[in-house]
This record gives sequence, C-alpha cells and structure tokens, in this order.
Amino acid sequence: MSINRKQFLEMTAALAGSSIMTSTMPWFSIFNNPAPIGKDASDRVRLGVIGVGSRGTGLVQNLQELEKTMNIEIAAVCDNYEPHYDRAIELTGGNAEAFLDYREMLEEVDLDGVVIATPLYEHAQMTMDAMQAGLHVYCEKAMARHLEDVKAMYETHLEEDKILLIGHQRLFNPVYLQSMEKIKRGDLGPLVMMRGWWTRNTDWVFYDNTGGRGTELDRRLNWRFYEDLSAGMISELGSHHFQVANWVLGSPPESVMGSGSINYFDDGREVYDNFGLIFRYPDNIHFVYDCITSNKHNGVQVQVMGNDGTLELESNMQYQENPPEPPAMQKLVECIEQNKNEAIPIGGATWVLNSPVRMGGEYITPEYDMNDTLLYLEGFVNFIRKGIAPEKLTKEGYNASVWTLLAEQATKTGEMVTAPEEYILS
Amino acid sequence: MSKTLNLYRNGFYAMATRFFVLIPELEDGSGDELFQKIKDEVNRIESRLSRFIKESEISKINREAFKADVETDDECFEILSACKYGWKMTDGAFDITLRPLMDYWKNEDNQPDETLQAVKESVGMQHVELDEENQTVGFKNENTELDLGGFGKGYALEKIKQMIESSAIKDAFISFGESSVLAMGEHPAGGAWKIGINDYTNPGNSIHEFEVSNGSVSTSSNFFLNDEGVLQNHTHIINPKTGKPHENFTAASVSARSPILAEILSTACLLLSDEKIRELMEKYDDIEIIKVDYEPEKPEVSEFKSIGE
Repeated sequence: MSINRKQFLEMTAALAGSSIMTSTMPWFSIFNNPAPIGKDASDRVRLGVIGVGSRGTGLVQNLQELEKTMNIEIAAVCDNYEPHYDRAIELTGGNAEAFLDYREMLEEVDLDGVVIATPLYEHAQMTMDAMQAGLHVYCEKAMARHLEDVKAMYETHLEEDKILLIGHQRLFNPVYLQSMEKIKRGDLGPLVMMRGWWTRNTDWVFYDNTGGRGTELDRRLNWRFYEDLSAGMISELGSHHFQVANWVLGSPPESVMGSGSINYFDDGREVYDNFGLIFRYPDNIHFVYDCITSNKHNGVQVQVMGNDGTLELESNMQYQENPPEPPAMQKLVECIEQNKNEAIPIGGATWVLNSPVRMGGEYITPEYDMNDTLLYLEGFVNFIRKGIAPEKLTKEGYNASVWTLLAEQATKTGEMVTAPEEYILS
Repeated sequence: MSKTLNLYRNGFYAMATRFFVLIPELEDGSGDELFQKIKDEVNRIESRLSRFIKESEISKINREAFKADVETDDECFEILSACKYGWKMTDGAFDITLRPLMDYWKNEDNQPDETLQAVKESVGMQHVELDEENQTVGFKNENTELDLGGFGKGYALEKIKQMIESSAIKDAFISFGESSVLAMGEHPAGGAWKIGINDYTNPGNSIHEFEVSNGSVSTSSNFFLNDEGVLQNHTHIINPKTGKPHENFTAASVSARSPILAEILSTACLLLSDEKIRELMEKYDDIEIIKVDYEPEKPEVSEFKSIGE
C-alpha cells in the first residue's frame, strides 16, 4: 500500500491541534488549512528565482508544478553565470523576466517572494537585500558561510517582519510526520542515541572543464571545494541531518567535537573528503555523524535509537528492539536453570508479527511518492498568502546553520565547541 | 546444588515472525558473534526468497518468468527443485503456487464460482518449468506466482543447522516463530531436547512430545493462539485439490532430521489422508508425524512413526 495526497492530508488532519503537532511541526497544518486562492491576476503570488544551477533548476521545475494549481507565477529569474542565465530563460519559456544581477531584479520587478539557490557564500547578502526590499524568502540550506551572517539574516527576518525559510526539505517529509509522532508517543522508549551518515563514492565534481582546481571558473562553479566559499560536505550534506537531529531531540546541541581530513581526493580541493562528528544534546544524548565521499557502502541514513526500538529515517523503516519471548522459551530457561529436562509446549502455528514488511522491520509510514521539496514550496506560497510562517520553522533552519558552522570549527580546532551566547535563540 | 550455567539468549524479527536462539555454555562475546552470523544468514535468505521484497530473486521470477525463462543461481535453482520435489512427493499437497487462491479467499465476498475455477486452474507446480541444463525457471500460466512463505523458515534452519554443525557448538535450541524448531545436541540436564506441541484446548500444556537431537520439528495449522492464549484465525491453508480453504480445526507436526523435510511434510500432512501419510513414512527412517484433530470435544491425536533406522 502507498499513500497519496488524500491520505497524506488525512494523516496531517489526524494530528491537527495535538500537542505533538503544535510543539514539534506546526507547519504541517498548513495543508489542512491553506490560504484561500483567489483566481484573479491580483491574487497571484509572484516569485523570483535567484540561482538557476543544479538545485535552482529543480526548484524552478517544482514551482512550475505549483503554477498549475496555486495561481502563482515565476515572474523573474536571475543568474550571473551566462549558461545558467540562458537556461533560466529556456526553462521558463521566456515568460519570466531574466536578470544577471539580482539587485536589478529586486528593484525592477514587483514580487512577493524569492527563492534563492545560489552558492552558500552568496546567501546572506541576497537574503537580506530581498527582505529589506519587502520580499519573503525561501533560501536553500545552509544559511551562510559565517556565523555572523546567519545571525544577521535571522535578525533581518525579525526586523523586516518577512518570512525566512531554509530549504531543509525533510521538514516537510511524510516519513518525519509519522516519525515525530511515534517518537513523542514513546514507541521507541527513552531515546538513547542518534547516529547518521552520508557515504558516497564520487569525486563530487559538479563541473568539468573549469581549468582545474584553483582557477577562477572552478571557484565559481565548483565552489563547494573552497574553504572561503563552503564548508564542504559539512554544510552541503551534513546540515540536512544536523537539522533532523535538532528537530528529533527537540533542542540544538550543547556541544560538538569532530575531525576531518582529505585522504583520497587530494586534487587541490580545500574541504574534507571525510569527517566524523559527535554532537552532545541535553539529557546526555549523543548524535554521532560521519561522512565520506570515497566509499558508498553504507549509503545515507539517520537512526533514532530508543531503548525499545530504532527508526531509520532515510529508509522509512522501524525496528522493535526485542521480540516478545515465547512463553514456552521462558519455561525452557526455567527448566534449564533447575537442571530439569522437561517437555516445553512450544510447537504450534507460526506466531505472526503485525504488519510485517521486510527484514525484521516495518515501514514507518506507508510507501509514498510525494516530493518533500514540492510540499515545502507549497507551504512557502501559502505562508506568503497568509503573511506569516511558523517561527519554529525558521528557527530549525537557523539552528541547523549555526551548528553546521560550529561543527566545522570543531573539526578545524580539534576542540569541543559550544555555541557563543549571542547565537543561542531564546 | 545445581551448577551455574552460561545461557546465551537472543532474538530478532525475520520473515514476519520472531526468531529465538538459546545456547547453553556460551559466553556473551562468542554468543554475539554467532548470533550475528545467524541473523545475517536469515536476512540473506529472506532478502532472496521474500515475495514482499521487490529486489528478491523470487519477486524477479514472479515478474518475469511467464514472459521469458529466468536464469537463476545454484541456490535458487536447488530451492525451487526441492519445492517441486516436495510437491510431487506429497501428491501436490505441498505447493508454493497457492498465493492467488489465498488472495481470492481473503476477499470475503468471493464464492466458489467460475472465477474461482479460473484461479484454481492457474495454480499448481505443473505450471512451473525447471530447466536443469540451463538452470532456468519459466511459468506456463500467466497468473502463476511463487510464495516461499511455507518453506523459508525450514530452509533457514537447514542452513543454521549446517552452520552449527561446523562450529564448536554442540548444543543449541532455536525457535523460528514456534512453528519451526531446531534442537541441536542435548538439553543441559542431559538427554535429547523434549519439544512439546501446544494443546490449543489446554494452552501451556503439551498434547504430544517429540524427543529431538540434531533435528527439527515443524508444525502447521490453520489457526493459532497468541501469547495470551487467544485464538487467532490468522491464515487460510488452501487445499489445492478443492481450491478452498482448509477449515477443519486440525494441526500437523513433523519431526525430522532435516528442517526442510519437516517443513514440507507438516504443510502437506495437514491435508493428506492417513493412508498417504503412511505411504510417505516408508521412504524415510527418521520421521515422526502427529495429526491433531480439534473438531471432537477432546482432541484426537494420530501418530505415525517410521520404522526404525
């Protein structure tokens, strides 16, 4: 069985108003209580997209899905790299106004919001400029390259009273909807640890023919490799899972330790090709995380471990810790302890696990083919219409981004890092 | 004074049920290592044989074997050959192609009518062709579907039995969903393991006892009691001869050295006549079968034993 939109809405409706929903994931209620969609041109939500590279292209395509049902319009597109600028025009069929400079776009086009999918180091200025120009912002993760920029973005959001959402798309994933419910309901027993990893076997080169590492073009296109532009896999991959850990454990970490190195892809890149981190959370819980780009055996995973069970969030699986022991087995043990060889009544028809699926586990939520990025953008449009988004959603992005940078700091210094007072949200 | 024993106990879920292992005289470290090997092997087998897993060999065969013959590896071909042998040996009472009939009867509105006739004609191992030379499997009927649910546990125990035999461990007791039990070596108090068959009219008491050393007991029935002793009519055993669910309250248990043989025979004996069971017994020197009829007020147990070694 797999769920469709209708069943997804039944799932969110079933949790509506519950303390689990309001305290951990209030944004899911937007699907049962969407903003009214007027049909007139004046009711149309007009969006601009800044950055139409690999991720930006995907976001444009998702927005085009929404154009079919939500009375929205991709009114403007922008990219300062000409091949991407041309692609943006082609993708939007020439209907969106195209710009090489986002500032011109902000000045010239009447927009309600922007979607930003530029390299990490450009996020902060663009986001703040957009909000100061009166626009709501959906910005790809992570927020910024520097802590002070993350904070400045967050403060601008408060000062300008504009929506700021960061693209950790698991926040809108149906698996997490069901997982948070199970976790909060106590299905796993007391939580004792989280583990996560992202392992791949790839050189991670997005663009060939840039002239090699260190050239201006390589810095521009393969920006993920340069320390001043990106924190490498810590910001581009890890931040997704740091957000998940904060969300599941209901708090940002207390501290982080870590180490990283380049031991295989020594091609002139400045960021690690492998690293390991240990985050410590309140209640003495650790989140152990590692990442490697030269071995893919373990794939990608986040495990939530409780004393009674485990959730594997990336594969939508849950495992109970201990099957109930057959009563006859207990009797056998008693007999052995008393040194008696008595017959134990064990034989019978097969004992059956409820809703069994595969390999000792069950699905967390039925299979689905829903696209969490699309759901997130649908949420963004609805929040724009309402003029407000749940503050917790913005805070999830903020805390994940702050701890991404603190984790990087831990690997650089070899020290246990805690958050400076000024970065802790009340 | 009874001596203090190291008793390694551990369990996990697999094949839609629970698996428990008990090994006397084994300290935790070695126990964990052996347990991990057993668990890996059970998972490996499940990942190959489960029709619920899209990537499994059986799923692949179910998808493709009608369109074109599917090439299999040695293990898979041996398994299917064993299933076909079991089908022949039991006059079709053990049959891994009955899934479409089970699905038919899951819908309570369905009746024995023409549709049933069509489904009935589509099942049966006669539709499954095994080509030994090319090691391929092909379906002759479009609706044929393999379901190794009644075979996998026995097969897993067979492999685990071999694993234990080639290890330093002599004594072990393993329950796979209680319907398949493997008893290796001796009970710590001495003598063969005594495996009781639960009496459904008097739960927690044995209606029969098998003495087993290095062998297996498999039980089939079309109903069962959960841990709380509540009757669960959880599954339909299909009688391939009639195409209908076997509705009598009966159970069959088979003790044999080979867990696979015990598994095949327990399913078949639920449906076979006493005469056919006696005929089967003649082929083997190590099996013991009981059939329990729960229909009368007091359950009636029929025993069949092969004549000596």
